[in-house]
Amino acid sequence: MKKKVISAALCVSMLASLTAGQLAFAEEDNVIRVAISAPMTGGLAILGEGSQHAVDMAVEEINALGGYQIEVLNNGNLADDASDSKQAINVYNSLMAEDPDVLIATYNSACSIPMAELAQKDGMVQLSPGSTNYSLTEIGDHIFRTCFIDPYQGKMASKFAVSQGWTTAAIIYAKDDDYSNGLKDAFVESAAGDGVEILYTGECTTKDTDFTAQVSQVVASDAEMLYFPCFLDIVPLLVQQARDAGFEGAIVCGDGSDGADTTGLEDAFNGVYYTNHYSSEDTSEAVQNFVTKFTENYGSESLNACAALYYDSVYMVYQAAINGGGTDTESILAGMTNLEFSGVTGSFTLNDTGDPEKNVVVNTYEDGVCTWMLTLDPEGNVVE
Amino acid sequence: MRVSLFIQSVVNGLNQGAIYALIALGYTMVYGIIRMINFAHGDFIMVGSYTLFYTIPLMVSWGMPAWLAVIFAVLVCVAVGVIVETVAYKPVRSAGSMSALITALAVSVFLENLAMVLFGANPKSVPAIFSLPSIEFLGAKLQVKYLLTLGIGLAMMLALQLFVKKTKLGKAMRAVPQDKEASTLVGINVNRIITTTFAIGSGLAAVAALMYCSTYPRCTTDMGSMMGLKAFIAAVLGGIGIIPGAMLGGLLVGLLEIFVKVYIAPGWYEAITYGVLIVVLLVKPAGILGKNVGEKV
Repeated sequence: MKKKVISAALCVSMLASLTAGQLAFAEEDNVIRVAISAPMTGGLAILGEGSQHAVDMAVEEINALGGYQIEVLNNGNLADDASDSKQAINVYNSLMAEDPDVLIATYNSACSIPMAELAQKDGMVQLSPGSTNYSLTEIGDHIFRTCFIDPYQGKMASKFAVSQGWTTAAIIYAKDDDYSNGLKDAFVESAAGDGVEILYTGECTTKDTDFTAQVSQVVASDAEMLYFPCFLDIVPLLVQQARDAGFEGAIVCGDGSDGADTTGLEDAFNGVYYTNHYSSEDTSEAVQNFVTKFTENYGSESLNACAALYYDSVYMVYQAAINGGGTDTESILAGMTNLEFSGVTGSFTLNDTGDPEKNVVVNTYEDGVCTWMLTLDPEGNVVE
Repeated sequence: MRVSLFIQSVVNGLNQGAIYALIALGYTMVYGIIRMINFAHGDFIMVGSYTLFYTIPLMVSWGMPAWLAVIFAVLVCVAVGVIVETVAYKPVRSAGSMSALITALAVSVFLENLAMVLFGANPKSVPAIFSLPSIEFLGAKLQVKYLLTLGIGLAMMLALQLFVKKTKLGKAMRAVPQDKEASTLVGINVNRIITTTFAIGSGLAAVAALMYCSTYPRCTTDMGSMMGLKAFIAAVLGGIGIIPGAMLGGLLVGLLEIFVKVYIAPGWYEAITYGVLIVVLLVKPAGILGKNVGEKV
């Protein structure tokens, strides 16, 4: 009997605390509770570090405006997914325990995708700052992203060719790689409409070291540019062999070549270009304001495209809350759908799948050092 | 068919073939003397390439030509080869060919992982080795360094052939595989001969690494496995254990790969290369230059 009384009393107190909690929740309703995850340790730790700084900066700026306030859960720290898909699930579960309104996660597609499966099921809104795998936003209507999808770069590479006046192109792509296939297909599709004639299409694999057969055919085709949507480890090999074979035209790559080693190939890398999300050398006002403030507070070591994407993501959540008219998940979802946004990484409208079509930066090399060349808007016009 | 593309392809094929041939010479040397397939030979090339990566800047800072770094690479490779032979192969030599084969595979995995611990998993870009001009020939741009690779390959083959056929040490090397006991009886130190063979094979790997890095200036910890496999095919194709056979096999594999890529089907080049190997071995099991003699088991 005594036990029953105690358990009944406990039940009543639990119910009471629940109601109290909900009352308290309703009171502080101008606060957006944001859960954020990023790779804070492991090989991509430098990206996580920059993202933490960028998020701190954005939150401070937004909260100083006096409207909706942003509270980053996990004591203001970005939760660490360590670029590991299993760890990402753990992070998701621990963040959900803190009852967020919206989730900003994460950089690696391999981590964002399993998180998105759960988020869609739980009715949580997820905004991924840096995952470029196209399948992510196809998981459901609650999933969005800040960066462009991989194949979009292929289209923009064709637009870049048009902006440079090139009318003939050759392609070498890695047949065994999704990224490379996606960029190649988008390039071919866009080139047909842009008046860029493709004279040669060659295949390689991500493990090849010898491209002499393909580049000799590129030379024989007399194409003005070579599109090579592959990763940074084989880009220097291709560039050297192409130049050795006498190819003097432009070589255009995707963001996978960011960070390619140009040691000893400084001359060969003249006339090599690649598309990317963002460049700190971009002269536009939004970028320069961000870069100046970031560098003043945190130095330039962790200033990277990932940081800029996290910075924009926080602002997108804020914008979505304003548009949706509230800080709860439903309002943010309503506001995020087809959101129009302008930030550091460009101006865009989210499409129906939740992907932006946005500005693309084209970088080139001078004496082996990567430098910003120009920024293209989604129609292929050079952004002044 | 454009003439310039054809000529370019021939030169590209000969260049790649010469690199395969240089590696295949190492396989053939070791097999010819001790009837053992040294699967770690590809990884000796990896060792040589990393040595070049670290010593070329030294050479350049001393004001010497970059290719002289091959001296360090030869020394390091010979040291690694002799150590591997003494520590890993010698103890299992009497245990049969299967044990030797498995030990060689183990050494290969060991070297690759050791390199990953020592040098990290990221690929390293080797600085430029030769600054040679290119020549225009019938509209094709030919790199002199490609021709140099072929020249070095041929020179190495000739030198080895002369060494094995004309010197006393070479005669001893030829005697050992015929009959180990009889060789010992006539005063040949079998262990020393085998160690010397490994030293020469490993030194060749360093030269192969130099030519490899001049064409493909990148070293990775697993670069040896694929190169090693292709070179092994080349050695078998030409007739394993026969020095000119390694050269012939290497050039054939190189030319075949490039021509399949250019004129037939780029995605099929490996399938076709391996297919040709199977056909050749069906028709002539001992390889192109091999003599069909029953092997003593």
